[in-house]
Amino acid sequence: MSQPEPSPRPEVVLVTRPTADQPAPTSPAHILRAVISHSIGLATFTVTTAANITQQAVNAAASSGAHVAQRGMSVVVDPILDAVVPRVTDAVLDRLDLTQIVLDHVDVDAIVAKADIEAVIDRVPIVPIADYVIDEIDLPQIIRQSTGGVATDAINSVRVQTFGADQWVSRLTDAIVRRRQGNLQAPGEPESLEELAEETKDAQAQDTQSP
Amino acid sequence: MTSFRDYQDRRQRDVTEMRMEVLPLGAREFQGDRAGLITRLAAGVIDVVAIFLVVLGVAVAGWMLSFIVSPLNPLATTADGMRRFPQVVLLVMIGYGLAWLYFMICWATSGRTIGNLVMGLRVINHKGSRLRWPVAALRSGFVVVFPIGLAWVVASGANRSVQDLVLRTNVTYDWVVGVPTLAGILGRNRGSQKK
Repeated sequence: MSQPEPSPRPEVVLVTRPTADQPAPTSPAHILRAVISHSIGLATFTVTTAANITQQAVNAAASSGAHVAQRGMSVVVDPILDAVVPRVTDAVLDRLDLTQIVLDHVDVDAIVAKADIEAVIDRVPIVPIADYVIDEIDLPQIIRQSTGGVATDAINSVRVQTFGADQWVSRLTDAIVRRRQGNLQAPGEPESLEELAEETKDAQAQDTQSP
Repeated sequence: MTSFRDYQDRRQRDVTEMRMEVLPLGAREFQGDRAGLITRLAAGVIDVVAIFLVVLGVAVAGWMLSFIVSPLNPLATTADGMRRFPQVVLLVMIGYGLAWLYFMICWATSGRTIGNLVMGLRVINHKGSRLRWPVAALRSGFVVVFPIGLAWVVASGANRSVQDLVLRTNVTYDWVVGVPTLAGILGRNRGSQKK
């Protein structure tokens, strides 16, 4: 806060009028006029002097006590503000739909356009996200479905073809000797499906472990 | 659906290799079924060719070594009467012996010979686990001595060869997807032993 400017020291000037040269008033009218004029002069002097003294006192008090007053103010006011401002702010915010206000009044696209997207992307773990997506959409299953059971590599293709030949031979023999196809199911779990089952089991166990 | 955060946590807990090797959808249905004649024949041919190549390799190696013993006279016989190239009968005997050992070891350890591996077959006993060594040795000998027993696969109506009927074994479709590793095979065997 700026210091109050010191006001110029008021001066009290007494003006005297020589009366010796003038003849002393003798008539009652003259006396009365002299009394009235002197009374007014005295009253004016008294008032102006009192006003000056008061102003001086006020100025002095203001200049010397400003700091103290300021410190006192903060000691008194700050706790009040600390208590009141958060509540008031909360109350105000509770009564406002800030999101809607922002949507109505802020050009979000402009802010996004200003943002440094590259910096954000640099911080994003792209490869884990890609793995996550592959896991989550079950890419192997999609590949399986898209190939529709057709063997994907040469070995599988040969295996499928010989399996077909097996079927053909057994159907032919069954037709020749006129019998139904026997039960081909062997005991035990095939390793090829066992792994799949274990993977599914592991995945389920992990899913149940993680809430 | 797991969130990305959960996924990240799980990923950091246990780093597992991503498996892209898949069993074709149509092939799942017949996994574990007893295999038919053509597949088993193809596997057998692959094994026989493999054994033949090994025997041939042995013969060629012997022929090469014979020059160290007696470097002169590259044709037929050496000075001390030893043949440079073994007699065919001997090679056939070696082949039979090798085949017996090979089938026995393969069936008793992983249940698959190389031919079985390629064609996606596995030999199991009547309980569905891998053969014990004596059974593997018996079956191996039986197959080597009486390979025509495979033909009964067609006649039996349930894809059983003579060896299968006698020793109560099964040859099943059980595809190995991807490249099999020794650790994987040994791990599998431990798993099947537990049963």
